[in-house]
Amino acid sequence: MIVFDHASVTYPGGVHALKDISLEIPDGEMMVIVGLSGAGKSTLIRAINGLVPLTDGDVIVDGVSVRKASGDQLRRLRSKIGMIFQTFNLVKRTSVLNNVLMGRLHTTGTARSLFGWYKPADVEIAMQALERVDIVEKAYVRAANLSGGQQQRVGIARALAQEPTIILADEPVASLDPPTSHVVMRDLQRINRDLGITTIVNLHFLDLAKVYCERIIGLRAGELVYDGTGAQADEGVFRDIYGRSLTADDLLEAPSLT
Amino acid sequence: MNGTNNAGPPRESRPRRPSNAKRNVAFIFALLVIVGSVLSVDIKYERLVDLPAGIWLVVYKMYFERGPDLSYLGVSIEHMVQSIEIAWVGTIIGAVLSLPIGFVAAKNVSSGIISNVFRQVLNGIRAFPELVLAVAIFIPIAGLGPVAGALAIGIHSVGTLGKLTAEVVEGIDAGPVEAARASGGRWVQIQRWGVLPQVLPEIVAFWLYRFEINIRAAAVLGVVGAGGIGFIVQQTIVFGRFPLAGTALLVVIIATILVDTVSGWVRRRIIEGVETRRIVDAEIEQPALVDGSAA
Amino acid sequence: MTVAAGAESRRPAKPRPSLAIPIGLVTFAVITWISVSREFGIDLNLGELAENITRGARILVREDTNPADRGLLNPNWVFLTETAEPMLETFAMAVLASVMGCGLALPVSFLVSRVTAPNGLVLSIGRAILSVIRAIPDILYALLFVAAVGVGPLPGILALLFFNIGVTVKLLSETVDGVDPGPIEAGRASGATGMQTTRWAVVPQILPNYVAYSLYVFELNIRASTVLGIVGAGGIGRMLYREYGFFHWSNVSVIIVELFVMVFLIELVSIWLRRRLV
Repeated sequence: MIVFDHASVTYPGGVHALKDISLEIPDGEMMVIVGLSGAGKSTLIRAINGLVPLTDGDVIVDGVSVRKASGDQLRRLRSKIGMIFQTFNLVKRTSVLNNVLMGRLHTTGTARSLFGWYKPADVEIAMQALERVDIVEKAYVRAANLSGGQQQRVGIARALAQEPTIILADEPVASLDPPTSHVVMRDLQRINRDLGITTIVNLHFLDLAKVYCERIIGLRAGELVYDGTGAQADEGVFRDIYGRSLTADDLLEAPSLT
Repeated sequence: MNGTNNAGPPRESRPRRPSNAKRNVAFIFALLVIVGSVLSVDIKYERLVDLPAGIWLVVYKMYFERGPDLSYLGVSIEHMVQSIEIAWVGTIIGAVLSLPIGFVAAKNVSSGIISNVFRQVLNGIRAFPELVLAVAIFIPIAGLGPVAGALAIGIHSVGTLGKLTAEVVEGIDAGPVEAARASGGRWVQIQRWGVLPQVLPEIVAFWLYRFEINIRAAAVLGVVGAGGIGFIVQQTIVFGRFPLAGTALLVVIIATILVDTVSGWVRRRIIEGVETRRIVDAEIEQPALVDGSAA
Repeated sequence: MTVAAGAESRRPAKPRPSLAIPIGLVTFAVITWISVSREFGIDLNLGELAENITRGARILVREDTNPADRGLLNPNWVFLTETAEPMLETFAMAVLASVMGCGLALPVSFLVSRVTAPNGLVLSIGRAILSVIRAIPDILYALLFVAAVGVGPLPGILALLFFNIGVTVKLLSETVDGVDPGPIEAGRASGATGMQTTRWAVVPQILPNYVAYSLYVFELNIRASTVLGIVGAGGIGRMLYREYGFFHWSNVSVIIVELFVMVFLIELVSIWLRRRLV
């Protein structure tokens, strides 16, 4: 379980990215965060694995305080949390398999990892992760030679290879075209259902959010303005979150909503 | 976790691990060259044990026994100034000669055969270090002294600067050149108004970078009598006058860092974010390396 | 006329020229004048130089009964056999110094890049030490190491080593500064240690540049190691300087031709390798 307890983040420049957020995310939930860019979605997600340090309050992940965790504790916590990025964040010059194996670094000793002598069991886990997102045939191809959608699936495989209990996805489809976006969202949904991994996704597109997620929370200027189901989230709710009416830019496929 | 029915295609679809044979052959070859070098070099390995002590003793004698001899500061500075002057004049000689040669050596504004010939000439010049040029050519011509040093540095600089200039000229936007040709310009006019304005900032940055390198070269030319501070560093070390050598070395270090700082500042003013590695990348021609799109 | 006047009024005033260029040009002229002057500078006199070139021409074409004493354009090929051994030493010195220097430079450049440095203190101290290392030219290192450990290839290799570390670390740390930070964030987010993240998120990104710079440094070493012998640090330089001292121009000529061929061949191999490996 993830608990936000009056969590706040103020950046050095004085920007209040998160203001006094309190929130509970039970195990196995698939939750989506919507909001304008700059509303604090990325900050909220990065507060969970400590990539962005809190300035007030706390986030408790499976009973561990992210704010009070030592460097070592934080690394152990992060090893249980997979992360997926808008720009995929793959090492483009190396093979897909090497990228996925980055998810096994946390159980690999320093000397072994420097020379790349991964244990056969770890390679097996990486291969299975690639099979789960249906891209194992590209295992020895350079990541740079893959399409955007394929790269994002490798990114998901890297997160899966950690054998995580939580997956954080920061705008996973923002760099992809609509059909590919659906493939990636379906992958995430499948992983959530089949493996019971708590999945938290930042999305800009509201229609996608409604299709794939039970629970939606809305952020506006760092504040929690909505927390409910996708079914309840109507036009009025979105006006609250966005501070304006919906436009075609807020939808992945303009005609599919309403 | 019902992984079996969701684990995607069966294991047979996994690709075979690609072979590393080529890499291994290259690796073994490199290893042979290295082992051969270790065996052929005549190093008395027992001397390695005394190495740290020997180095420390020199440093100790220069700086800690009685401290560096500051009465030598004036003489050292005077010689270092001469080194800087040699580097300055040498860089100017290199810049003036390399500019036209670089244009002629660029494939896109010159013709194929001519550019190839000039490229080989530039590569040939680059093969000879300043000290070799000084000893074999310019000291016999100009006699012992700083003029020989400046000429040696100048000619050596033509090699690298010419190559860099050619690289930059080859990387220009072809539009303005076409425009200048379309308006009926002569070759020299096209170069002056279509090409030069595009490339000059970068080339001037190269000149400054070369000046920074030439400072280092000019600081050692003295060991063959071609002027500058190298002479007194060598004499003081050879005759065991380490406190004096310490002062001279200190002057070399401080002056070089000062010149680097000022020159680096001016370079950054001329071109936004010009890094040493960009300059070297241009010098060693590594296409597809920098853009990250290598397939 | 009125139209023309109106048009003229709409023309913008000529922008005031930036002061940077005139100041730069004046500075340039002053430094150049000082540098070439007889009183303060190196006394560069083009007329005198032109006269001296005739003197230089003599060493090019000089004839003598002793083959070693002929001009530069008359290489004394018999001398070739004597140069083989020091030439090999020069090559071996360059190989060993390159391997050690580039091997050391990789971890060191991670310490002095903004992206991978463990902390700010290591970064600034490391950079300060490196700028001192880079400020000392190779031959001065050779002089110091000859004083410390005596003549021979060992001080030469040490001198090249320091020279290599200065060059390679500078180039490599700038490359590391410019890597895509995305994979580093991914590594941190997966619970990998800093060292593991550097190994798997940074090293693959810089590897092609590292190979290219290593080959470049090897080329630089070949050239540099040919002159270290002048101060007693091994290699062909000692023989070159000795023959020069005896005015054996045709022997000097042989060494020069050999140097040229070696540098040329190595450059060819290095270009080929770069194309293949990268």
